[in-house]
Amino acid sequence: MSFKKSQWGTLATAILVGGLFLSGCAPRAATAVPESGAGITAAPEVEEPEGATAGESQVVIVIPEDPPNFNASLSDTGYDALVMELVMLGLADLDPEGNIFPELAAELPTVENGGVITDEENGTMDVTWNLRPDITWSDGTPVSSDDVIFTYEALIDPELGSWTQGIDYVDGIEKVDVDTFIVHYNTIYPGYLYQFGGEQMAIWPAHYCDAAQGFSQWECAQKPLSNGPYLLEEWIVGDHLTFVRNPNYYEKGKPVIDKIIVRIVPDSSVRKTMLINGDADLDMWTTEGMLHDLKDEPNVEISTSPNNRWVMRLFLNLAARGTTDPAATPHPILSDVRVRKAIRMAINVEELSKEIFLGYSKPIWTEFFREPYICNIPQPKYDPEAAKALLEEAGWSDQDGDGVRECHGCQAASEGDLMEMELITYAEYGELLELTQQLIGEMLGEIGMKLNLTIMEGSVMWATSAEGGIEQTGNFDINLWDDGFFGNNPTDFLWELYHSASAEPDMGWNVGRWINPEFDTLLEQSYTLDETVRKDLFCQMATILDEEVPVILLFSAVNAEAHSARLQGVQSTINDLVTWNAADWTLK
Amino acid sequence: MGQYVIRRLLQAVPLLLLVSILLFILVNIAPGGPLAGRGQTKHIRPEQAEILKRQYGLDKPLAVRYVFWLIGNDWTKVDNDGDGVAESYGQSKGILRGDFGTSYRTRRPVLETIGDYLPNTIYLMTITLIIVALLAIPVGVISAVKQYSIFDITVTTLSFMGQAIPEFWLGLILILVFYAWLKNPFTGGPLLPAGGMYTIGAPFSVWDWGKHLILPVVMGSVGWVTWYSRFLRSSMLDVIHQDYIRTARAKGLTEKRTLFIHALRNALLPLVTIFALDLPYIVAGSLYVEIIFSWPGMGRLYYQAAMDRDYPLLMAILIIGTAVVILSNLLADIVYAILDPRIHYD
Repeated sequence: MSFKKSQWGTLATAILVGGLFLSGCAPRAATAVPESGAGITAAPEVEEPEGATAGESQVVIVIPEDPPNFNASLSDTGYDALVMELVMLGLADLDPEGNIFPELAAELPTVENGGVITDEENGTMDVTWNLRPDITWSDGTPVSSDDVIFTYEALIDPELGSWTQGIDYVDGIEKVDVDTFIVHYNTIYPGYLYQFGGEQMAIWPAHYCDAAQGFSQWECAQKPLSNGPYLLEEWIVGDHLTFVRNPNYYEKGKPVIDKIIVRIVPDSSVRKTMLINGDADLDMWTTEGMLHDLKDEPNVEISTSPNNRWVMRLFLNLAARGTTDPAATPHPILSDVRVRKAIRMAINVEELSKEIFLGYSKPIWTEFFREPYICNIPQPKYDPEAAKALLEEAGWSDQDGDGVRECHGCQAASEGDLMEMELITYAEYGELLELTQQLIGEMLGEIGMKLNLTIMEGSVMWATSAEGGIEQTGNFDINLWDDGFFGNNPTDFLWELYHSASAEPDMGWNVGRWINPEFDTLLEQSYTLDETVRKDLFCQMATILDEEVPVILLFSAVNAEAHSARLQGVQSTINDLVTWNAADWTLK
Repeated sequence: MGQYVIRRLLQAVPLLLLVSILLFILVNIAPGGPLAGRGQTKHIRPEQAEILKRQYGLDKPLAVRYVFWLIGNDWTKVDNDGDGVAESYGQSKGILRGDFGTSYRTRRPVLETIGDYLPNTIYLMTITLIIVALLAIPVGVISAVKQYSIFDITVTTLSFMGQAIPEFWLGLILILVFYAWLKNPFTGGPLLPAGGMYTIGAPFSVWDWGKHLILPVVMGSVGWVTWYSRFLRSSMLDVIHQDYIRTARAKGLTEKRTLFIHALRNALLPLVTIFALDLPYIVAGSLYVEIIFSWPGMGRLYYQAAMDRDYPLLMAILIIGTAVVILSNLLADIVYAILDPRIHYD
């Protein structure tokens, strides 16, 4: 068998053309425009790069990975919420300062305007919502109470539903009329205003989504029908999503920009270069390193959130490694509060935040550091000498002179045991967190504490106990990662991190197994709508946390977005994704 | 030969089954799991974890999960709502009936997801391998024929450099030079695009698609070209010192005919085998190339699935990969037999 020259040429051409056909001319994995999506314009025939028609305004957002779908309630990767904000609305949303504003709702229901009726005796409440009458889906169907009830029922379906914060507090939703409905709560729930909105939750169209497919798998999450500022025009999976302005958007004259392209660009160096070159207009969740590189670029501006959410922190295991009951099996080192305080004193947080995080972070020492709940807790002093003295007092001293303390009369370890622990962090955050881990290891080493450093995937650290998750199984000493709550209601977050009910394996994230009945009571009482009472309760909790040190808060990680200088109106926020106000963006 | 191929294909069935069991166990017992949060919510609430566990089928023992994955669960009743009662038949048909399940991440059928990415990888890798062959063969042959010439020494030096350069670094440098630094003299824009498969929104043109290919193909082919050309050089040097080459020359054949008809065909034999064994890359893709050049291919899909512990997607990619490896091995044997008349499979 042999090929002549012409046959080789034919074969090569065939493979080339075949390849092009497979990728280009064959259906390109495009998620088509919803058939019922009235008002969606056809893909423009254009000459300019990246699809901008002459006279058409367009911005390009670059993100590292594809959004799973448009339903941010399911996985909360952030990328799903980014695109959800462009096409879907909730009942209400939050601005960067934490102020709640209505979206689909005509106004925010409160006790004062009669929208909220509480039954203090039974501990229940009813919230009456009125929808704006002028909002329609992109096919012209009005958004109605039926959509809200449909979304709620699909969400709580035990087979195909999902779970969102506070949904267990809802007993049901009662339709009053086409624009009015009442949410019945089985408790007083302070987070009611953005429970059906915010960054994670949208209202889904009852007439468009297939209830039989279920909330977790319905196709309308891949091909959403819009009631937001933009319409999904095409989705080339793994490559880009194109959005065009919704001509029927309820805010007249908005959105201003005609087209938004969300491009998937996995490598951060390439995203940075594209931003500098003018081929990208917005980089989502720009890291500190990139912010530092971009700060002097003339074509690039940086939007930083006015508040911080993510606080880098040390989770201290108060139970012995591999166990989850601190009373029966206390951690030999960390169960002593004096040791926990010594660790806090020995870490130079200012240095960490300035040297490693390049000045984009600031020290944080209490959960209640931002409006509306700021508590006056004094900043712990960096004092390694006092830390050493405290360790001596706690029965940890270095008598053999090897630089590592041993137990000599300590509270929970055996005599002579070394003060040696493991400090774990997660790999996905990147180099800055790894450097932070190393520096903390050195700082604690200077007071005679030996830390073995480990880096692991988040999916190992935060897995369930059945999956061998090291936090849920208690198989760690000290973990380093960032966490925080969005919005202005910290109750659910505090419950998850500090309530004793959350200390049970797989029942929450009080993985240090810190048990404090007084704190539990205060937290339970904070499920009230009385703001004065809540503030007082939170500050009492802040004092307990400061004294007990179940978790050591270090510094806030930045929440910022780099964007092209021509793109105006971008405002980074901890309470939502940067596209929260995309309808207001303009180009200069 | 026909019988041999059929026998090998039949042998592949139990092999695939065995590999699938091993892969299923390894994937499922690897540390971590799909119930760990990521992105904004690092930790999933227990209530949500309970629902996801049921929806993903993780509430069943490993062996049962494997059986369901293989043959489906539409023949038995399962507890879909978590009330402890198996009330309705399952929905899965199993991979033997072409149902690879639903991706945990996207909640879409796994095969649909793979269908989004696979053509892009085949497209890129096919062209990369063609370029590799077109460059490596002449370079290898000339290096051997002109052994120790300036060309040979230069190529040898470049080959070592090519093999030593980290692929990732090379890609970034290519972007820096051809995207950030060098400008198109006619438009003033970048000389070559930073990534993607084509210009978004632009009408289809071969030039547009072609210019998006240049840098990924260069990045992906450098290592292969150097490796194949070195291999062919060595193989060619072995062959041209054989007696039958001396005989060919003694018979008065031209040097060109001696080298390209008698020597090259024999020198290519081992290369063809290696080339056939590298064919799985056509479906596996190259992770680094796909990351640097924002190419929506199988490498990125696999990496994402591994990071997410997206078991159905991971298993599908691994099983398809295994099948392609088995078929490539068979193809290598068949091609070898066609090219070398001394080999018979009975």
